[in-house]
Order: sequence, then C-alpha cells, then structure tokens
Amino acid sequence: MYFACDLCIPSSYKSGEYPVFLFSMSMEDYDYLFKIVLIGNAGVGKTCLVRRFTQGLFPPGQGATIGVDFMIKTVEIKGQKVKLQIWDTAGQERFRSITQSYYRSANALILTYDITCEDSFRCLPEWLREIEQYANNQVVTILVGNKIDLAEKREVLRQRAEDFAESQSMLYLETSAKESDNVERLFLDLACELIQEAKQNKLDNNDTAPMPGEGKTISYLSCCNLN
Amino acid sequence: MTGVCGCCGALRPRYKRLVDNIFPEDPEDGLVKANMEKLTFYALSAPEKLDRIGAYLSERLSRDVARHRYGYVCIAMEALDQLLMACHCQSINLFVESFLKMVRKLLESDKPSLQILGTNSFVKFANIEEDTPSYHRSYDFFVSRFSEMCHSSYEDPDIRTKIRMAGIKGLQGVVRKTVNDELQANIWDPQHMDKIVPSLLFNLQSGVRTESRSPSPLQASEKEKESPVELTERCFRELLGRAAYGNIKNAVTPVLMHLDNHSLWEGKTFAVRCFKIIMYSIQSQHSHLVIQQLLGHLDANSKNSATVRAGIVEVLLEAAAIAASGSVGPTVLEVFNTLLRQLRLSVDYELTGSYDGNIGTKIIKAHEERQLQEAVIRTIGSFANTLPTYQRSEVMLFIMGKIPVPGIHPALPSAGSGPEGTRMIQIMLLKSLVQVTAGFQTTNMLTALPNSFLEPLLSFSLTEDPEIRLLVLQILLSLIDRHDNMLKFTNISIISDISVLKLKVDKCSRQDNLFMKKHGQQLYRHIYLGCKEQSSGRQHYESLFALLGLLSVELANEEVVVDLIRLALALQDQALSTDEPLPVYNRCAVHALAAAYLNLICQLTTVPAFCQHIHEVIEVRQKESPYLLPEDVFVDNPKPPSSLEKVEGDVLFLQSKITEVLGGSGYNTDRLATPYVPQYTDEDRLSKRKSIGETISLQVEVESRNSPEKEERTPAEEITFETLKNAIVDSVGMEEQERERRRQVVEKFQKAPFEEIAAHCGARATLLQSKLNQIFEITIRPPPSPSGTISSGYGQSQSRSIPIYEMKFPDLCVY
Repeated sequence: MYFACDLCIPSSYKSGEYPVFLFSMSMEDYDYLFKIVLIGNAGVGKTCLVRRFTQGLFPPGQGATIGVDFMIKTVEIKGQKVKLQIWDTAGQERFRSITQSYYRSANALILTYDITCEDSFRCLPEWLREIEQYANNQVVTILVGNKIDLAEKREVLRQRAEDFAESQSMLYLETSAKESDNVERLFLDLACELIQEAKQNKLDNNDTAPMPGEGKTISYLSCCNLN
Repeated sequence: MTGVCGCCGALRPRYKRLVDNIFPEDPEDGLVKANMEKLTFYALSAPEKLDRIGAYLSERLSRDVARHRYGYVCIAMEALDQLLMACHCQSINLFVESFLKMVRKLLESDKPSLQILGTNSFVKFANIEEDTPSYHRSYDFFVSRFSEMCHSSYEDPDIRTKIRMAGIKGLQGVVRKTVNDELQANIWDPQHMDKIVPSLLFNLQSGVRTESRSPSPLQASEKEKESPVELTERCFRELLGRAAYGNIKNAVTPVLMHLDNHSLWEGKTFAVRCFKIIMYSIQSQHSHLVIQQLLGHLDANSKNSATVRAGIVEVLLEAAAIAASGSVGPTVLEVFNTLLRQLRLSVDYELTGSYDGNIGTKIIKAHEERQLQEAVIRTIGSFANTLPTYQRSEVMLFIMGKIPVPGIHPALPSAGSGPEGTRMIQIMLLKSLVQVTAGFQTTNMLTALPNSFLEPLLSFSLTEDPEIRLLVLQILLSLIDRHDNMLKFTNISIISDISVLKLKVDKCSRQDNLFMKKHGQQLYRHIYLGCKEQSSGRQHYESLFALLGLLSVELANEEVVVDLIRLALALQDQALSTDEPLPVYNRCAVHALAAAYLNLICQLTTVPAFCQHIHEVIEVRQKESPYLLPEDVFVDNPKPPSSLEKVEGDVLFLQSKITEVLGGSGYNTDRLATPYVPQYTDEDRLSKRKSIGETISLQVEVESRNSPEKEERTPAEEITFETLKNAIVDSVGMEEQERERRRQVVEKFQKAPFEEIAAHCGARATLLQSKLNQIFEITIRPPPSPSGTISSGYGQSQSRSIPIYEMKFPDLCVY
C-alpha cells in the first residue's frame, strides 16, 4: 500500500507507462495510507493542530516550523485501519520552494487560516493558486479556520469563510488546537472523505492505475504469504 | 529458549525458528552471534527462502516498535543488515522489499534514535551495488522523509544535528541508489530535486551561520567528527558530479529558487559559495549550462532590485572564472548580448529613476545601479578572458556594433533619456571593451583589428568628451601592447637611460608592418588631434605618451620611427602655434610630451648624435624652462607659467638638426625634412559633429575607396611644402565630391526599399556571373563527359557533366 500511494502521485507517471507491481504483505498494519499536507500563512497554528492530533498536546510557545515537519498517526474508521502521514509545512515565504514540492504528492491538503487574523484569510486565494499550480488535481482540500478559542478577537466571520469555501468547493471547519475543538473531527472527516474517494476511484477505474490509499486491489504476494 | 523452540519447533517453519533464535532473552545481550551465523548460512544455502525470512523479521520488528521494545528493534536491524551484506545474490531483490519496509517503519517513528538507526541501515544498503534491476521500488517516501529530517527542529541541538546529518546521509544514499538505475523513479525529476537541493542548501547555509557566530567549543572537542556543513557539501558535490547533461537544469533550478526565496543574492557570499561548489563539482563540459541558467535568471530578475541583480552578476563573474574555457559554451555572442542588455537596462533605470514595470514606484538607488554596472563590466571582461583570440575579436566587434551612435539608432530604448543616456551607454560599452581588450594578445594585428572595428573606435577618440577619449586610448593601448610593456610607460618622465625599463622588444613581423602601413596614418592623426583637445588632462597626455611609446616598441620599423619623430616635432609646432586657442597648461603638456617621447625614441634608435641633441635641449629646458618638461607638468599640482612667451631657440627640438643627424645613420631624410601634417578625412569632420551618420559597412566601403588616394598623396609629400599645401587644397575639392557621392549612397541605402537594394546588388551579382562565364568560356574547356562512352539512354549524364562554374550563384548570396 505504501507503494500504491507512492506510485499514484507523480504526474509524470500518468502516462500509464510506469510498471505497476504492488506489494501487500499479510502483516501490513493498515488498510489505507493517506498523505495530508497542511498549508497556510505563518503563525495560523498548523503545527499546533498536528501536534494536538498526533500527540494530544498543545505546545505553548511553539516556534516557527523550519521547512517541513513529519508526523504519523493511525486511526481506525469503521474497522479499517487508516494511516495518516501528515506533512506540516512552514508558512514562511522563504521556505516556499521546499514546501511546494510536498504538495505534489498529497492526497489531501488542509488549508489553514487564523480567524483572528484578517490577513491570513485574505491570502487564501493566493494559496489556492499555489494548490492549483503544484498539487495533484485530485487532491481533497479542506479549509480550516483555527483559533476559535479566541472568539472575542475574531476578525473573519464564519459565514464569510463558509461562503468562500463553498465557492471554491472546499469543505470547511473551524477548530481550536488549544481547546482541542474539532481537531479529531477534522482529521477523521478527512480520512472518511479520502476513503470514499479511494473507493470511488476503485469503482471508476478498476484495473487501471491505483488510486490514493488503495493498495489491496492488486497484490500478487497475498496468496504466497499464506504458507 | 531451546525448550520453547523444541516444543513448538515442529509446528513452525524452519526459517521462523532460525529467526527467533537470533533474539536473546534479554535485549541487552545483543544479537546471538552463533545463531545469526546459522541463519546466514541457511539464507545462503536456500536463497529462495530469503524473502520469507525478511518478511518474518519485518513482522517482528513492527511488533517490537509498536511495543516500544527498542532493544529488539536494534537487534532485528542488525540481523537485517548482516543478511543484506551476506547475500550478494539475485534473490536479494525480494528481501530488499521487507528491508525497506522496516527502514520505513523506523523512519515513521518519532523517536530520533529509531530514525537514525533506520537511516544508518539505509545508508549501508545504499552502498551495496545491486546487479539486478528492481521495478517495484519507490523512494518517494525516503526522499520526502530525509528532506524533512534535514530541516529537523528538534529541541536538543545535539540531537537536532544528528537528525539533520542522518537526513543528509539518507539523501546521499537515495542518490547513490537511484542515480545509475534507469528503472528507478528518476531522481533528477523536479519533484525530487525540489526537495533534495533546498534541504542540502539549507544545511549548508545554516551551518555557515552558526560557524560564523561562534566557533563552538563542542565542535572543537570533536574535531575528528565531520560537521554537518562538510557532510552537506560533500553530498552536494557528489550529487552534482553525477548529473548528466540533461539533468543539470533540474539540479540548478532549485538552487536559484532557494537563493531567491531566502534572499541570498544580496549577501553574495553564500550564493557565490554555492556556485563555486556547483562549478567545481559538475562535469566541466556542462559548465556552460550553469552559466546559461544564471544568465536566464538574471534576465528573469531584470525588474528586481539592483542588489539582487548585482548579486547574480557577481556569481556569474566567479562562475565564469572557474569554468574558464568552458564557461561560454556554444552561444558566445548570446552571453555577451545578455550582459550588454543588462548593462543598458541598468543605465536606463538609473536615468529614468524607475523600473517601467508594474511593480509600482520602487526607488532606484543610483549608486547601487552603478555598482551593478561595474559588476557587469567586470563580468564581461571575465568571460572575454576565457575566449580564444579569434572569438575575442569577434566579441570586440559585437560590442562595438552595440555602441550607439546618434543618427543610426534613432529608436534607442533610452530615447527618453536623450543624449545623456547615449553618452552613458557609450561609456559603459567602451568600459566593457577596455575589459575585453585587457590582456588581449594577437600575433596578427591585421586580422584581429579589422577596419570595421578600428574605424569606429578611432572616431570615438575624436569626440569632445574627455572620458570617452581616455577610454578609447586605454583600449588602443591594450590592443597594441603585446609584450606587457604598457605598465612601463604609465609614468611620463625623462628617463636618462631607458634600459631600466627593461622593455621587451620583438622584431616587427610582416603583418605588423602591413598594419602600420594601413593604419599608421590614422593612428598618428588621432594622437595629433588628441593632443589638441582643450579638455585633455594629465591622464590623456600620459596615455598618449604610452601609446607613442608602445607604437615605437611594438610596431616600429624604420619608416614608422621616422613618422613618429615627425609626429613629435609636429606636436611641438602645435604647442607653439598661435592659431590654436590652447590653454597654457595644455601647451606645456604637449611640449613635455614631445620632449619625453623624443627622449625615448632617440635612445631606441641608438643614434648618438640624435641622443645628444635631445639631451642638450632637455638640459637647457631644465635650467631655463622646467615647465616644459614632464617632471613639472605631470604632477599633482602643476604650476604652469601665466603665459608662454619666448619659447624659442635652444629649448626647442630642431627639425633640421634631427634630420641631419639621422640622415647620417641612413634614415630617410627627405621624409624627415617634411613636417607632419595630419590628413583630414570626412570621418574626422563627422565625428567632430559627434555623429557618424553611417553604418560600419559603409565606412569600410569609403575606406577602401579612400586608400588609393592616400597612396597617391604620399609621393606628393616628398616634394615641397608648397606642393603639399596644394595637394591638400585639391583634396578638399575632391573631398567635396566624395562627400556628395557618399551622401547619395547613404541616402539610397536609407530610403530605398529593401527589394530595390537587393535588386541592385543582384544586378551586380549577375554582372559578375556573366563576366565569370566569359572568362571560363575562354580559359577552360568543359571536361569530357564521364558518360561519353555510355549510351545516350543514360540521360542523367548530361546534367551531371555541367561544370561547376556554370552553376548559378544562389539568389541568397545577394543578401
């Protein structure tokens, strides 16, 4: 399944010429694997969201991320083990070139802004352009307004963000990494969505290129491993 | 342990038992060596079981990681490593899958120790050379994860360094593993390079930063350990060294991006360091690709601030020097074109005070633009230095063609900035020429300096702008200087014994003589007129002296020496003449110049009587009028007399005397006795007006038509002063005609439509064709047809036997 994901991402393989040999060991510890990349302006709380989700803590005084950060978490959804590979990117402009290179292979993007910072919301169209330019066109994008614990300082109204998300056909969620509001839900919803997507793709093109997170369809070793 | 195995041994496959046995009861005890040997032996004797062993080991490892039994994890990895090393057989392929899965498992962990353990195993694996290709491996995750590790921000600085170094080593491993394997996902794809290269650069850069901050005591204590920066650099070099022609671009582009994003062009040092590494590491035949990309990047940054552009240019300068002969590549003129375009852009920016882009109102800092211009000019020089002589003269011509001459290029981009812009561009381009010609040495002056270069250059030497004149003099000096004699003439003074100068003199070659025959008069005239310019200052006279000196040592035969002496005497006359409204200082300067030069040339001729005369005059001057000698004139604060009177008698060099003494040594006295009078041509007048309303090609045409006349004029000089005067008067009339004719030609070429000109030339070509045909008709009989004996049924023979001369010139030759 690992290979499944790795193989389906790069656009250069879309020509269909890439040899497809998929492995599925019997003792693989997950059913699906998805790559999720967090993007958004600096200081909107991307790293805090990830750490809250993966480690269950809210690190006060979290420093700026350098380049990229990596976390992994396996969740269970309807009896299926889903491994989430989470790439948390730096929001700073100077790391843009390295972070862009990570969009390409993402199954899902979490576009984050800070509800107490109008600026971070206004930059969203720019981020969407980046996504358009660098990400896989099948990527699932979810818009997240973070820091709802600071409701009294809110600058971006919920309605406005919802409208915007709808106009861009994105999912929308408001979270608080500090209070752990909606954080679990964010990642679990995303996982469900990605599973749906993967199943859909499996139905759509059963025996063509493997789709995100879908590794079990083609596995020639599964039979040999029974001995 | 044995008991347990014994009880269920019958139920378990053998390989599982063997694997289980390598794990001790207490993980502290480490790998059970004896059992490991058994496992290895089994794996070697039954390689088909290898994949199952791997799978089972991997299963155990996953379980141990999940249960935080890290001791067993280490043991499992050790066992895997050993198996991997032991099995150099083909079956390794399947085994590798489980191996990589385990490495991945370790890398997914958030424990630094496991990450590093995994990386180390991966590096060991990367160093194994596999002989069977593998289709189903993908290193995407490894590239992503190792790149991420390179950016680790772990709290503990020691561990952070370790993780980052592991990341770098990991990347190095991936590169090693994939670079030569065509079946692997191409590591050179942008999707990988965009991760690998910035990660390496980040470490290279952050290392520099901490190093400069403090030479930390920690590093000092572990000197034998490689620092992350060194490791990064080594890895980066290895990566670049493996890059093939088609991959250079993908490797360099992320570097440019990284430098852009981290605004590292301004600081220059890091950018220069990066590109030094690049230039030294890549295969030298590819270095021009890097240069091309840098040039492209410079163009892309045309609208960026001057400091950024200057940074890129600085990098280009360094890179070009490293790549030396390979730096320019196949597109020589393109390189120079780009640089010249940047120069012009910068001048425009400086003059208009804004970028015409839509960025808004950025304030242009004139001094930054100036620095950029200087940098570009130096870079042009640096590139030119790498070129062979023939290409250098090509570049010289190219730059010359770019120098704007009002009237020719009415639609200059700097149209808005007017004459000032034109002047600045002229100066910049001439400065570039100074750089290009510096150190230029040619054996054949005639081919290296064609008319189309020399003519416009000399015409610039007559403009009123002293700066431009000085630049032209510098260019001429470095062109003529071929034995590094130039520096010896930088100080203008009376040297009593010129042997201290240690001049290097070679015998004049035939080409040199031809060159002087063709261009000597032009050069003398320009020296003469250059002295007459009121705006000429100390530097001008010093350069003029150097030019005279160089001509005497580099290009002089007897005839030239005579002409130069005449020229020096004419300069003295010029300084005496009351017709010219020359300031006192300039008069003194010209006197001093003539004195210094005659002192030099008399010693070069080694005619004792000549030397004596010069010495006498100089001695008199030293006593009576030191202000006529270079030692008094060419100082920081010259004090010329308020007026020059009574410059006569013994303080002057006498033409008659010199003629007399040189005549005794076999010099051409007739010629010596004739005072030098500069020959004016149209070109002078035109340049006096500061506009040369003609293209280079037309100049050539005129020159070629002029030359026969010149030769006619030369014998006239031998007669008397009177006849010479007449000749000049005559030639003025001829000049009028000439000018009229030329005006017509110019007009025709300017106004007539292209087709007409083409038709005109075409007509000439047909004329030539028919003439040629006539000649051939007369001289050559058509060769006997090779198929003459074969039957006429072989029809093609007819057309084949057409002699070459009958073939029509293709129409394209006309253009």
